Amino acid sequence: MEWAYERSKFHRKLYQEAGLEPGDIKSYEDIAKVPKVEKSMMRGIQRKDPFPYGDALCVPLEEVTEFRQTSGTTGTPVYQPDTWQDWEWWAEAWAYLLYAQGYRKTDRVFIPFGYNIFVAFWAGHYASEKIGCEVVPGGVLDTEARILKIQELRATAMMATPTYVLGMADTAKKKLGIDPARDLTIRKITCAGEPGASIPSTKHRMEEAWGAKVYDHVGATEIGAWGFECSAQPGGLHVNDGLFLTQLEDIETGEIIEEPGRKGKIVITALDRIAQPCIRFDSKDVAEWSKEPCPCGRTFRIIQGGVVGRADDITKIKGVLIAPSAIEEVVHSIKGLSNEFEAIVTKKGDLDDITLKIEILPEEEKNQEGILTQLKDQLRLKTNLGYNIEVHPFNSLPRYEVKAKRFKDLRKHG
Amino acid sequence: MGRGELRKLDTRIKTIKKATLELKQLSGGIQAIDRNAERILASVKMLEINVSDVKDLV
Repeated sequence: MEWAYERSKFHRKLYQEAGLEPGDIKSYEDIAKVPKVEKSMMRGIQRKDPFPYGDALCVPLEEVTEFRQTSGTTGTPVYQPDTWQDWEWWAEAWAYLLYAQGYRKTDRVFIPFGYNIFVAFWAGHYASEKIGCEVVPGGVLDTEARILKIQELRATAMMATPTYVLGMADTAKKKLGIDPARDLTIRKITCAGEPGASIPSTKHRMEEAWGAKVYDHVGATEIGAWGFECSAQPGGLHVNDGLFLTQLEDIETGEIIEEPGRKGKIVITALDRIAQPCIRFDSKDVAEWSKEPCPCGRTFRIIQGGVVGRADDITKIKGVLIAPSAIEEVVHSIKGLSNEFEAIVTKKGDLDDITLKIEILPEEEKNQEGILTQLKDQLRLKTNLGYNIEVHPFNSLPRYEVKAKRFKDLRKHG
Repeated sequence: MGRGELRKLDTRIKTIKKATLELKQLSGGIQAIDRNAERILASVKMLEINVSDVKDLV
């Protein structure tokens, strides 16, 4: 806090308005008094001098060596400056998670990622190198070329979004006649960018398709890679208590939650980030602490079931609170459905209406009636909602390479 | 690993840092020294995070 207070006009103003100086923070309990920072606040200060980062930059501009930006899923992208030390720290955080997932010097890691302004797999690349793995950058290759390169080089691990992991498996089978589980040697997959690897049915689909262990990780450009699943797969994610101060806050009251089994939102401080500090960043990620220790032996705390939603994603439909991930969990638990779907919420008069577009796998079309009955029953059971189900031809719904946009709430746009 | 071992590691980390800062001072502006010393210092910071910052917490 002192670092930011002395160097960043943005942070100093924020703390002065709250009547706080760094010296006021004397205990763990005092930390809760420090005002939170939200992504929308960062948007407000950027694209100004020192260009393009604005008033939160804490180092001379010439010390910035890395530019990244957020994906813009929730609005205008936020720029993130990092010094070389920050970048070492990024790789260090990823090295923690990759080592916990069993990455070793003997691994040949394939990264099927269009290397660009987004941070996630850049850090995975550098962390793999830091561990001593051999890294194969799958940059501008198309999906088929990436699969063939994985086969040619006998890669043992890879990193991708859950959507792309499933999409690659589909392409391998349908276009190349390659069964990833049988014909390829990938045995570890690290996911990022979407919650799928913590959604049991999606995780199961990926593990079955690739014959590999699939591990989740959670992070953000403004924060770093703050949580990860370990090789014991304890049904949740460790938070990296070494590099981050992770707090869980009651969504309504802001009370710090220490006990297991009570949901709140994650507020994070990255302990050693210097160019643009991350102090009490409101991640909007909803989670709850686990009461069980992990069999892996790590004492880093665990969030049960991973991030179960985002505070700004959880929405009320027909009076029922729902997280989009609950729909994914149901769709991916039904064997005859493809990986793709779309849920569209609209308003008809004063009433909410939700349509679920799905695809039935060609080989399962004869079972359509039973699949639809199962789908409606499970949706009713798991989400407490009735849906208009639309069956679309296989391969007609949008396919995504990075973050999928399968939930569309059109009520907000009138 | 106990506190004693961590303190020994911390002493060595401090030695590396001191030597690297001296290298930078003595470099006379030679780019090859300055840029590699900067990278060593970033790695030293990671050693500090993992060892020096926690040595008294064990």
